[in-house]
Amino acid sequence: MHLLNFNVDRIIIHQVFQRDLDGSKVPPTQSHEFTRFDSSALEAFRTRVKDAIGDGSKAVQMEIVDQGDHDLPTLVNNMVDQNDDDFAVSSYDAAKLLNDVQNSKSIPGGIVVVFSGTHGSPSKKFWGVMKADIYSGYKKEVNPRTNEISLEFIKELLLTPASRLYKTAVFIEKANYEADCSDLNDKWFVLVSDSQINKADGKAAAKYFYSGFLGCGYPETSARTTKKFYEHAHKFIEDLDMPETSKVNLYNALTTYLKVDQASTVSSSEFAERYIDNIDVQDEFTCYMREQGLPGNAFTKDLEHIQTKLKFRKIKFRRNIQIQAPADKFEQFITMKPINGNEDENGVPEKWTQVTIKDSIVGQE
Amino acid sequence: MDSSYNQRFNRWARMNQEEFKEKWNQEKAIHEAWGKLIVNKLSESLADEGKDLDSFLKLPAKHRLKDDKSLIDKAFYRADKQYRDPYSEIEDKVGARLVVLLIEDIKDICKIVESCELWTFDPCKHFDNDRHESPLLFTYQSVHYILRPSEEIEYDGVTIGTEFPCELQIRTLLQHAHAELTHDAIYKAQKTVQPEVSRTVAKCMALIETTDTFFSEVTQKLNYGPLQEHRINDKMNSLYSNLTGIQPINCKSSLTIWDQFEQFLDDSLIDKIKAFTEDDNYKVVIDNIPQRLNTNIIYEQSIILFVYWMLLFKKRRLLRDWPLDKNLLEPLANDLGVTLEG
Repeated sequence: MHLLNFNVDRIIIHQVFQRDLDGSKVPPTQSHEFTRFDSSALEAFRTRVKDAIGDGSKAVQMEIVDQGDHDLPTLVNNMVDQNDDDFAVSSYDAAKLLNDVQNSKSIPGGIVVVFSGTHGSPSKKFWGVMKADIYSGYKKEVNPRTNEISLEFIKELLLTPASRLYKTAVFIEKANYEADCSDLNDKWFVLVSDSQINKADGKAAAKYFYSGFLGCGYPETSARTTKKFYEHAHKFIEDLDMPETSKVNLYNALTTYLKVDQASTVSSSEFAERYIDNIDVQDEFTCYMREQGLPGNAFTKDLEHIQTKLKFRKIKFRRNIQIQAPADKFEQFITMKPINGNEDENGVPEKWTQVTIKDSIVGQE
Repeated sequence: MDSSYNQRFNRWARMNQEEFKEKWNQEKAIHEAWGKLIVNKLSESLADEGKDLDSFLKLPAKHRLKDDKSLIDKAFYRADKQYRDPYSEIEDKVGARLVVLLIEDIKDICKIVESCELWTFDPCKHFDNDRHESPLLFTYQSVHYILRPSEEIEYDGVTIGTEFPCELQIRTLLQHAHAELTHDAIYKAQKTVQPEVSRTVAKCMALIETTDTFFSEVTQKLNYGPLQEHRINDKMNSLYSNLTGIQPINCKSSLTIWDQFEQFLDDSLIDKIKAFTEDDNYKVVIDNIPQRLNTNIIYEQSIILFVYWMLLFKKRRLLRDWPLDKNLLEPLANDLGVTLEG
């Protein structure tokens, strides 16, 4: 939970363009005036920002890497304290920076929304930027005489609720930091929402935005966070009140999600919604993970510390019997189900497990 | 009782009939005032308990003096009543009656009657006792109290002494219907009542008792659930006003929400919500409720705390089963910074 009770005070909009046919830069269009939304439009804007980077979103935390005078993080650090006139000018500098790094003709132009505001108590600042792709769409028109509905074509439409149509970055001022800290990471917490980051092998496509423009990189703690995710998710499944054989699928899912899935980010919400059937258990899972200190939104995946754990799936039985299989083969080739075994003296059957291995034996020790 | 005793008794009584009338005429105003005071006091107490009198009482609450003729008749000429001192022994010279829909409503009124310090009460008839004592009998059912001032009171320009009785009758609408039939049609019948008529009247009472039980059952099923059992609404309202300093309003929409998420309503819910409101991280959101009052009516209701809690801890269940317009959740999710996108 990073943005509690946040208010957006200033919004200014510029436009950046795709490189022209020769590959040369087209200068961005500059606005000098702030956008004044009415209260419902402002609430909708708050919703867009929150949906992009709020708790449960796919936004990932990034680390500030570039801290030079002309890099965006330094610009942000100065901008938040500027008066409106200077803020308007600086926001255009930010748009120019984005324009500069859009160095491939394949990167589309778009609207750059620069905004700032306050959050939390005591009140802290935040600074944000959205690059919104422009799409076409329709607007509903009602003929006042006949009540007939028609659609008016709108060539340029943006900031619709689908957050994959825009990239968002927010710099959030931390609650406590030294006034003279030299590393901007001590002062700012950065969240980046970019649907390309979450895609398989999406890092490269997204790099111009998070690295070139924002001057950020993946946090070094990713490997530790991923390990923590694996361990706590494992513990959650272990503690679930259900038969061991029913947990097999969930353990398989955990391995699949981390190892087999090619996405470069991990999130508790995504795992819950994709692999846990019961909606209340989904809620319990995300709350449990948040309580264990895992981010409420996504984080970048780094399997370095859990490679060995993910290599094999092991199932242990009471009489020192074990089944071990490569993680990526387990789900596909091994199935098990509970069956009733011999009855004890009270007529209660022992709990046995029927295992099917879809393969033939090739060797024995 | 032998006939000579009866003759002697009646002779003695007739001697007192004129005195009886005179005394009654002198004291009518006092009885009248006492009946009026009782009705006013009970109406006031029911309103204090949050009852809407127009709907709670199925007939307007009224008091009534016994008319002279039937009083004399009762005192001196009824074969089944033989009083030594009819004036003080007849306790229903003034009566008041409350008619309600349900047996449970009667219990509510009894509680009020028995806890009021204005009078002393004598519970002279209760259908529960009658049913216990004569389980095979189906006859007139009602609750009767004889109320007397616990100390002398000035009211309506008269002084009411502690010896003045008033009979208070409390019944369900169906019991009342039965009483009306038996009182008017049977007691005042022009001819001897045939056994089969009595039998039919008894069958009516059996049916009425059964129906009253069904009425209670239906009402209980309609109005009683975990929300009432755990007094969730009261507890939420007091939590809300403690946190915000504002008296919350109660809207029907909140009942719809409670209904939908009934599975979460238990003894521990209030503690969980309280823990959330006491968490330093969320203090800012709670503190901000007064500023948002005008933006949406949900900020004025204590259920907002439950919805905040659901957004944080049961978000998917909330989104799947939310019974009202989803847009209502957006501003609350914005306050918490919680995304609603799947």
